[in-house]
Amino acid sequence: MLKKLLKYEWKETARLLLPINLALIVLTVLGCAMLSTSIFDSEVSIFFAVPLLILYIISIIAFSSVTIIYIYVRFYKNLYTAEGYLMHTLPVTPMQLFHSKLIVGCSWFCLNSLLSSLSFMALGFAAGFHQASTNIYLDTTNINLDPSISFADIFGYPVPVFLLWLLAIMVFSAFSSILMGYVSILLGQQMERNKLAASVAFYFGIYMVIQIITSVAMMVPEFLIMKDMTDEEFMTIMLSETFRMAFPMMTIIYLIMSIVFYIICRVLMNRRVNLD
Amino acid sequence: MTLLECKNLTKLYGKHTALSDISFQIDSGHIIGILGPNGSGKTTLLKLITGLLSPTSGTVYVKEEPIGPASKSIISYLPDHTYLNKNLRIQDIIDFFADFYEDFDSLRAYDMMAKLQINPRQKLKTLSKGTQEKVQLILVMSRHASLYILDEPLAGVDPAARDYILDTILSNYDENASILISTHLISDIENILDEVIFIQDGSLHTHALVDELREKDHKSIDTIFREVFKC
Repeated sequence: MLKKLLKYEWKETARLLLPINLALIVLTVLGCAMLSTSIFDSEVSIFFAVPLLILYIISIIAFSSVTIIYIYVRFYKNLYTAEGYLMHTLPVTPMQLFHSKLIVGCSWFCLNSLLSSLSFMALGFAAGFHQASTNIYLDTTNINLDPSISFADIFGYPVPVFLLWLLAIMVFSAFSSILMGYVSILLGQQMERNKLAASVAFYFGIYMVIQIITSVAMMVPEFLIMKDMTDEEFMTIMLSETFRMAFPMMTIIYLIMSIVFYIICRVLMNRRVNLD
Repeated sequence: MTLLECKNLTKLYGKHTALSDISFQIDSGHIIGILGPNGSGKTTLLKLITGLLSPTSGTVYVKEEPIGPASKSIISYLPDHTYLNKNLRIQDIIDFFADFYEDFDSLRAYDMMAKLQINPRQKLKTLSKGTQEKVQLILVMSRHASLYILDEPLAGVDPAARDYILDTILSNYDENASILISTHLISDIENILDEVIFIQDGSLHTHALVDELREKDHKSIDTIFREVFKC
């Protein structure tokens, strides 16, 4: 039954989320095409280059926001409004309903995050490649690159490990973000009345608590690492040390959050529903 | 085997008692009317049986099993409002039902749609409210279920549509199945009922065979209902 639920969940969510991700790809291709030409080479081009850049960033943020909000709304609407009368009378377990939403929601969220990251990289690469090929602004004779400094020296990890950490953070943050929304909705459903408003309140409450915990969790180890450093050491290894400390820490935080939220969701989903 | 057993069902909403200590049993092959005025607790009772509400106390058993995937696979439920995604085409909804309910008969559904001249390629939202309700009824009655639960299937429709709905119900349910039908339009369904359950202010007032009740009081069920629930 889970396979059938997944099939219909994919089909339904694709109606909105597939066009959104296709639009992101089209936007990236257009951006790369524009950056590969000479239209931004003149000095007056700054007047339309900046608004276009702002528009691009707003679009990426909007696509990402619509994706996460749609995943939350879909969970709520499909399970706890009129449509819930159908979903909760199907011969499936509550956890099968939940897992179908979680797997599909996380997949879309990861895809959107991955495409957004690739879009930034592609645009950066296109701009760099164009500059290198035309050599208009880049005077390499004045850049003193130390050949002994590697990517790992600056960013704390070799490129493949760095990308693997990014991927791990992306996946775990997707799970924790989706589960945080689901927990809020499920907690809201436990209220006698104003369930939707309660869900929104729970979401912002949990969000604030998580922000405080993660900020402290990130700041304390960083402070301990940095406190004995000289100014020179601080300037040269601060970035690499930050990445070296932040990536495992963020992964652990997102993992713990995902596990805690999942357990709460499991308990709440297995309580019998009370549809209005 | 008892098809449905409700034991001491109570449902509270805060301090308000929606249902109070309801107990009854239903056997296979009966049409049972859940009768009561608006707000008496009919819908709450049906939602408890389908698992859409959890009782404050008491239990529901379907074929001696508590409510779960097994019971849901043999119950065909029609709520008192539209519950399907209106952006879907009818044929997509038929595919959905066929995928999840092993007892769903797609041919029967398409046949009933054709008789009503409903195009399965149409989206649900393009249909009138009355036609949407007929589509829902067709889907529910296209299952070979053991228990049909129909919540106010006659409310808000014209007399001609009522005849169609009753005809659809009677001509499509299996003889070994039972139908629980809630309504306050007694005269329309009186002749098809085997049993009645009167619900008054959340409590079970009467549970009796229709023929026995008629013979005892020498009155129609509609008349008895009017007397019991006189304002």
